[in-house]
Amino acid sequence: MGAKPLILRALTYLVLILALFPILLPIYWMIITAVKPKDEVFTFTPEWVPHTVALSNFGLAWNSAPFGHYFINSVVVTTGIIFLQLVTSTLAAYALARLRFFGRGVLFLIILSAMILPIQITFLANFVTLKNFGWLDTYQGLVIPFAASAFGTFLLRQAFLAVPPALEDAARLDRCTGLSFLWNFLVPLSRPTLLAFTLVALVAHWNDYFWPLIVTNTDAVRTLPIGLGMFIAQEVTTDWNLLMAATLFVSAPLLIAFFVAQRYFISSFMHSGLKG
Amino acid sequence: MTRSVLLRLQPYLYLLPALIILALFNYYPILSLVDMSLHSQTPSRPEAVWVGLQNYLTLFQTPVFSEVLVNTAWYVLATVPFTMLLALVLAVLLNQKLRAMPLFRGLYYTPVIMPTVAAAALGLWMFNANNGLVNYLLHLLQVQGPAWLSSEQWALVTVMLIGIWKNIGYYMLIYLAGLQNIPANLLDAARLDGARAVDRFISILAPLLQPTTYFIAVVAIIQSFQVFDFVNLLTQGGPSNSTNVLVFFIYQNGFEYLDLGMAAAIAVVLFGLVLITSGILTWALNR
Repeated sequence: MGAKPLILRALTYLVLILALFPILLPIYWMIITAVKPKDEVFTFTPEWVPHTVALSNFGLAWNSAPFGHYFINSVVVTTGIIFLQLVTSTLAAYALARLRFFGRGVLFLIILSAMILPIQITFLANFVTLKNFGWLDTYQGLVIPFAASAFGTFLLRQAFLAVPPALEDAARLDRCTGLSFLWNFLVPLSRPTLLAFTLVALVAHWNDYFWPLIVTNTDAVRTLPIGLGMFIAQEVTTDWNLLMAATLFVSAPLLIAFFVAQRYFISSFMHSGLKG
Repeated sequence: MTRSVLLRLQPYLYLLPALIILALFNYYPILSLVDMSLHSQTPSRPEAVWVGLQNYLTLFQTPVFSEVLVNTAWYVLATVPFTMLLALVLAVLLNQKLRAMPLFRGLYYTPVIMPTVAAAALGLWMFNANNGLVNYLLHLLQVQGPAWLSSEQWALVTVMLIGIWKNIGYYMLIYLAGLQNIPANLLDAARLDGARAVDRFISILAPLLQPTTYFIAVVAIIQSFQVFDFVNLLTQGGPSNSTNVLVFFIYQNGFEYLDLGMAAAIAVVLFGLVLITSGILTWALNR
């Protein structure tokens, strides 16, 4: 088949580039503002390219709040959530996909229905529960409510169902059954799904602002989004360059990961979006 | 004997960790919220007292609550169709076999990867009334820009624009996944038969994309019912409740006014709305 007419291709590019303008302009402006010295921030005619690059903004912003500590908290909480979700979802998905037992269909529906009960509806009750546990303002308070995932269980169940029963029979001859079949066969064979689910959970929980806002109260457990949120409340109308510098370094870890491994991220999000 | 019992219990043991967590933090909260909403518990009266439907009756007579409902409805009705339409157009364009496609796809997706807090910070700076870039660009077009987030008339629109900016890439990608599931030869055949691009879209793509569209609609509606982060970070529901939405109203009643019963009643109403909406959409999908 011949190539598309040149004019049509040019038109497609033109529209795509025009539509990109509003998407990228705020990000460009964040980066530019983040490296401007203070006196260049408030000019009537905006400076599209800064005269002097003030990299010291990043140090100033970083040291204006315990961002190092917030970063560690974000790593601990996100890792904890993802690890627990992978374990609980894999086990549950294994039972639902490969074992026969009484009540399987009902239990699957019960797990699925958790998807329409998001934290934005349940948070008040969960806050009271954690208060009774004495878990407010702790790591476990940030992690345990997300230790299971209906969505992850659903995705992994689909993946485990796709493994042919013949393989299980063959493995059984080698005395590889139950959990060792799960670990040695199902898990390696479902690697794309596991990766997809991990990346979706990573973006969701690394960026989460809502639940940490509800349960954290001290710097000991505050995560990066909370730190940035407090910075917004403090710095508004004064040091835009520092606020943009903080915004940049809070967004940077995932953005860098995304652009380095874009292929995996994109195919993961497509994969999980379609099946969700 | 014990071994065979253990074997029969095995599936339940594997399901147990997930079920315990979901029961405790997803299902129990609904019962707990209903129960809380039937009690009154305030700082002046810390012991929960049974009040029946009183919280609901008070809620439906509170003028702010109807404002909150209207704001939430506006947010859903304005952002969902607009986001979906734009996402579809972008996805159709990106589905052309162009060399720079992966680059464009990644760039459009960038805001989705950023935290909502970062998007809020960018929005705050871009829409700043005096020094913001948006008003400067409007000034170049000889338009006097409004005060955006501090204007009663424009604050909700600003929150919507920031929300659309943040989410459009997400829905674009789901549409793209849907488009790539449509066999290319189907479209090629239509092209050979001389069907125009518009006809090809209406008679082939649109019907085949219908499941994707329903899926996106359900996700987008439920998501926008839950908008909170931008409101809390940018406007605190103001000016004069013009951006107060359901989840923020729960938060306000629960954590600022410390009126747990009232906050729970609003949460139950929100749950009902989400349930009804997804019910209607599922019914429409299966019809």
